[in-house]
Amino acid sequence: MSTVLAGNGLIKKYGTTNALAGVDVQVAERESLAIMGPSGSGKSTLLHTLAGIIRPDRGQVLLRGERSEMEIPPAEGWGRVDHWGENRLSALRRKRFGFVFQFGQLLPELPAEENVALPLMLEGVPRRQAVQRARRWFAPLGLAGLEHRRPGQLSGGQAQRVAIARALAVEPDVVFADEPTGALDQSTGEEVIRLLTSVTRDQGAALVMVTHDAEVAAHCDRVLQVRDGRVSGYSQYTVA
Amino acid sequence: MRSPVLPLTWHLTRSSGRRGLQSHLLSAAAAAAGALILLTLLSAHLGSGTRADRTAWRTPDAVSAAQATAIQTLGTTYVNHRPVTVVSLAQLPNRPDTPAPPGLDRFPAPGRTYLSPALANLMDRLPAGQLANRFPAKTDYGTLGEAGLGAPEELVAVVGRTPDDPAITRAPEGDALNTLAARARVSGFTGTKPSMFTSFDQQAAVLGGALLVVPVIVLASAAGRLGVARREQRLAALRLAGATPRQILAMTGVESAAVGLAGGLLGAVAYTLLLPVLTWVPYGIGTWYGELWVGLPWLLAVVAAVAVLTSVSAVSTLRGVARSPLGVAQQADPRRTRLIRLVLFVAIGLYVTVTAHGGGLSTGQSLALIVLVYGAFWMLGPWVVDMLGRLLSRFARRPATLLAARRLSDDPRGAWRTVSGLVLAGLVAGFFTVGQVGIGGYDCPGQVAVRADHGKPRELAVQARELLAKARVKASVETASADVWDGILSGSKGVVVHVRGGQEQIDTATTALSSLSPGNLPFTEDYVNAEGDITTRVIGEMGLAVLALGFLVAAASAGLTAAATVLDRRRVYGLLRLAGTPLKVLDRARMRETALPLVVLAGGTTATGIYAGMKVNEMFHMETDSSGAVRLALCVALGAATMFAALAGSRPLLRKVTAERAQDPD
Repeated sequence: MSTVLAGNGLIKKYGTTNALAGVDVQVAERESLAIMGPSGSGKSTLLHTLAGIIRPDRGQVLLRGERSEMEIPPAEGWGRVDHWGENRLSALRRKRFGFVFQFGQLLPELPAEENVALPLMLEGVPRRQAVQRARRWFAPLGLAGLEHRRPGQLSGGQAQRVAIARALAVEPDVVFADEPTGALDQSTGEEVIRLLTSVTRDQGAALVMVTHDAEVAAHCDRVLQVRDGRVSGYSQYTVA
Repeated sequence: MRSPVLPLTWHLTRSSGRRGLQSHLLSAAAAAAGALILLTLLSAHLGSGTRADRTAWRTPDAVSAAQATAIQTLGTTYVNHRPVTVVSLAQLPNRPDTPAPPGLDRFPAPGRTYLSPALANLMDRLPAGQLANRFPAKTDYGTLGEAGLGAPEELVAVVGRTPDDPAITRAPEGDALNTLAARARVSGFTGTKPSMFTSFDQQAAVLGGALLVVPVIVLASAAGRLGVARREQRLAALRLAGATPRQILAMTGVESAAVGLAGGLLGAVAYTLLLPVLTWVPYGIGTWYGELWVGLPWLLAVVAAVAVLTSVSAVSTLRGVARSPLGVAQQADPRRTRLIRLVLFVAIGLYVTVTAHGGGLSTGQSLALIVLVYGAFWMLGPWVVDMLGRLLSRFARRPATLLAARRLSDDPRGAWRTVSGLVLAGLVAGFFTVGQVGIGGYDCPGQVAVRADHGKPRELAVQARELLAKARVKASVETASADVWDGILSGSKGVVVHVRGGQEQIDTATTALSSLSPGNLPFTEDYVNAEGDITTRVIGEMGLAVLALGFLVAAASAGLTAAATVLDRRRVYGLLRLAGTPLKVLDRARMRETALPLVVLAGGTTATGIYAGMKVNEMFHMETDSSGAVRLALCVALGAATMFAALAGSRPLLRKVTAERAQDPD
């Protein structure tokens, strides 16, 4: 599998705290990568940096499939995300990335199907078509019949599945998940993570997920251990 | 056992951090603005009353001939369209001394004239033939002090005369309806009827206060609702930890009351500091002496009222948390409104229309109707917002419009609160701009008239020509009989002078004719239209003040509510932003959430205001001012622009809170 996203020599400081102290990471197509580490280890900072949310102090974030902006290899077909302006980054996050957070990412006043359709509408897809495309995700994610429910009428697991549908609706290259099961009970979390990894892979997207739960991480192809802003080790799992 | 509420509230307030402090400061600022406006309105009301009372001594209350010690007459003359009040006093012989009138240290001796400082100043500036010669020739005028004046700008003269002076004996009795002229035997200066120039000030202040009090309450409520989400999270956690609903409500009440109290006190301090500036704001007869100080009891009452309002508003938003520890986190259904609101609105509308039809309402009844109309709109507003949201969400094509529409139908009451200030200000604007009356008074420009109560008009006309020629005034003189009702003399016999030339010539003619018919001061168009002009001017001034304050309050409410909404929804906004939602989409949704109901509702209330204004005109048999529509359009456009500027003011906050998420070292 070829690499779709890479971070090279990433350094990020908050005051005197080294959130990232020189991290190298590659994410392959259709791969699922779990980032683990204790609180304050820099795992969320790494995810945010790879997703173009945080700009690193030093280092590069490279994304394949973008117009080349570099003079040094790998030049052809790679974009240097850490150099982009906010508007371009926003568009990137909207079009090529999907996001699943721990909770609170759904708009409470929109029904589930409109929450899923929102990124499509932001891309200019007409509302009717956007909603139709959004509805396709409901059955595969076990949400059939819940299209018109609002987030407040959904259970935690259902709300997270709606969030997964929304992340996948734009058919992204990479899905970023930040503690996606952190607010769920064990069995619901298990179910959500199984859906997240399998559906992401089926869609041909890579998954980068931050978690502190080893059982959740075990669903991923690889686990990246982070400690004090450095990669302390990799684990390789057999794809379930 | 000692209640844990107070110490816990204090501890939580102190530990709420920078964000908590921001909310508290915004809350306190809103409460301060509310208190300042309420105190200003109250001071205008109380001050107008005090000022009017200080003019009452000039209109004599008659006593019996046996009790009388003096004769007092009141006359009014005009110079350059400004009224000059002339009080003539004559001590009766062989009677006890009459006390000195307010503003003088002794009862004026015959031939002695006292002038208000403004009149003395005007006399210095104008040629004697235009003003000074209307009074007994003297150079050493006395000064009428502050106690005898309503405002520093008032033009008042007190003239001492003998009881047999024709200016006393021939002065008209006046009539009960106006206080421009009067004559009576008196034994002191305990008059109870204020000068006509002050009599409408207090009523207009009450009307303005009634129209502004709701927007001010909305502002204070907005203050109470700031930081609701933060507070709800905190208190929901306390509920989960075992706090009772009563403790939760008490903590919220105490915390918000403390913030409201601090804000109220700040407003009171600002009011006290601004008093010297406020006294320079002209209203009615002019600027102010010291009447605008409302006194400590009122000051404390307003501060307490603002604190209570803020507290009640905050507590009312936490009913969800009080009911269930999960509070709003479990809110699943949209807060729908019911059709009964429309039914009640229609019923109230019909009642108000029927009651107001035909006029004849007292001030109290009019105020009650205004409050009722306000209440009706308050009830209908959320229902209209709800319907609008549902309709728009069905047809919305763009994300920002869809988000705005869904927000409207999700929380119509919240959306209504944001726009209610301006919507109700629109009602006021409609009322005042159309109610800005153009009174159909007497149309007699360039005319000076003198009644001939004690003489023959023909003889007076001859003398008038001589006096005018001597004063070098070009004019024609005609006589009027008592059966002519549509002229300046309106049914009195006398002479009418048609002056050629401008206002200076009219003033010169008025001065020249002052001695023509002792006791009967010459008068002009200003005199016969005085009552209508006063009403028009005071309504106009109050209307302008209400509009300016109303729009400011509305904009402040909208700005505060918008800031509160951004703070309360910071998490969902932040996550949407991280997921690539452009800031401008979030911002547009926020703006449309306000703009859509504003356009629909402000239109409705403005139309109602116009209708109410026309009704008031009807009641007073006044013509509707056609330029009012232009003023109205300008006012509403200005108000809307101010409101959107206030909303845009929270844009940096939106940018900031949506960027905060990334500042996490983990």
